[in-house]
Amino acid sequence: MNDAEEDSALMPPVPGEVGLVEAHDFAHPASFTCESGQVLPGFTLRYETYGRLNAARDNAVVICHALSGDHHCAGIHALTDPKPGWWNNFIGPGKAVDTNRFFVLCANVLGGCQGSSGPSSLDPRTGRPFGLTFPFVTIRDMVRAQKLLCDHLGLASLQAVIGGSMGGMQVLQWGLEYPAFVRRLIPMATTARESAQAIAFNEVGRQAIMQDPDWNHGDYPRGGGPRVGLAVARMMAHITYLSDASMDLKFGRRRTAAANNPAYTFDVQFEVESYLRHQGESFINRFDANSYLYITRALDHFDLTAAHGSLEQAFAAVEAETLSVAFASDWLFPPEQNREIVLALLRAGKRASYAELATNLGHDSFLLESEELYALVRSFLGSPSSP
Amino acid sequence: MNKLVEKRTVDMQIIGDWVEPGSRVLDLGCGRGVLLDYLQQTKQVLGLGVDLDFHKILGCVRRGVTAYQGDMEAFMRAFPDRFFDRVICSRTVQELSDPAAVIIEALRVSRALTVGFVNHGYWKNRADAFFFGRKPRNPVYTTAWFESRPANPVTIADFEHFCAAKGITVTRRAPLRGDWHTPCTFRPNLFAGYALYDLTR
Repeated sequence: MNDAEEDSALMPPVPGEVGLVEAHDFAHPASFTCESGQVLPGFTLRYETYGRLNAARDNAVVICHALSGDHHCAGIHALTDPKPGWWNNFIGPGKAVDTNRFFVLCANVLGGCQGSSGPSSLDPRTGRPFGLTFPFVTIRDMVRAQKLLCDHLGLASLQAVIGGSMGGMQVLQWGLEYPAFVRRLIPMATTARESAQAIAFNEVGRQAIMQDPDWNHGDYPRGGGPRVGLAVARMMAHITYLSDASMDLKFGRRRTAAANNPAYTFDVQFEVESYLRHQGESFINRFDANSYLYITRALDHFDLTAAHGSLEQAFAAVEAETLSVAFASDWLFPPEQNREIVLALLRAGKRASYAELATNLGHDSFLLESEELYALVRSFLGSPSSP
Repeated sequence: MNKLVEKRTVDMQIIGDWVEPGSRVLDLGCGRGVLLDYLQQTKQVLGLGVDLDFHKILGCVRRGVTAYQGDMEAFMRAFPDRFFDRVICSRTVQELSDPAAVIIEALRVSRALTVGFVNHGYWKNRADAFFFGRKPRNPVYTTAWFESRPANPVTIADFEHFCAAKGITVTRRAPLRGDWHTPCTFRPNLFAGYALYDLTR
């Protein structure tokens, strides 16, 4: 059926800002057995919340971050902060995820390095960083830890779980692990099983780290470690988050100011080189190399088909309604892999929608400012819930 | 405009009469989900739409209708036989480059297929071509040739021939006169402006 124009039906209010926020720590005192069978004596999750929890404690939305992300997804920590949280364009008063309606929660993943327990945390038993003695964690472990945080906060249920890339994997895991707890799922730019190509890129990143002598089998002091290897891993991975078209648009073959003399050297000559080196440099100041190894391994192991026999069986328990969003130019987790999630949900008899945005910005498209994406998410979060 | 809205409503009412309450319904070329919304409200169907355009999917999500953005044939291939109770193809067949493939695939994934289309054999459409030598323009097809998408116009006689040739059983037919409201009992290919068919295999 074709209709007349009706796009003005849901005009968003003028959006505001979350403003100043601070992180909190949730310390789980009891031991936690990971899927690997290895045991953590206890763990900490660092998290942030925006908006107010209602009296029924059922207006929470959980945001799941990607490989290199963290709990700081909106607002600023200080007025002097150069940049707000990583999904600030998406979360806030009157924004797609409206903090006037929802109590938004985002935690740094288990195994991470931004305040949650990970290989760079001190092992209480030895007083030294865990390093490679940290248990192997999985996407499911990350989600189980987040559920313990939700229980600690006394949340009755979740209005939605939202995330892109590795965050999208957590969204799927949330839906099948805690079906009665979650009403809506929004996995974006993700996959139900990490592909060989994605594993390959992760492996190159890990090799760059582990071949750096400063890695020292994961045993390095805090602030030290394989800085060169980690920077190379980040540079390489960053390419997979972009696209040929977006790099051509952003950099083309433009030369840096310093490379005016066309000398035949291996110094930085092109803007794209300078950009990637900057990405690598800034990454080593905020990320831990061992965490990078652990989290990429968790990505590689993610395979709902193998874990449940089939994707339909994996989704058999899901009760939530799903909105999957993919991006045409994403070649890391391409549209086809996102479609497969929705088709399996539908075959399993679940309520699921699929939408695809025609951006040319590659995998990182889910982070970009798009009124279309905002309208889609706002509509889904505002639509009457499943009958 | 008003006439168009009225005409759409008639289409919806007849489809609504044919749809079994609580059934699993797939709408091919679902647009912004108006029909599925109506069927969900009046027949409590489990609705699902397919459309190529992002903004159509957005319209569906706004209405609380689940929808899939993509090619309808590729979509149906992902489902087992008889997965749906009914597939609806309302004012979509004339947009398809290979209507037979879509119709046959729809009859595989469902027990019944409802097809609704504007009858290009209707005398006024013939008169447009005969007297003016121009592409028909009316409240439904409002655009001139150069503003139109490629279309594959169909007549009632074409559709009857297709069903007979492919061995498709017509279980119900509802040809409607030019007002798209009054049933048309006499020479529908000439006097019906719109036709609805219910098919099975």
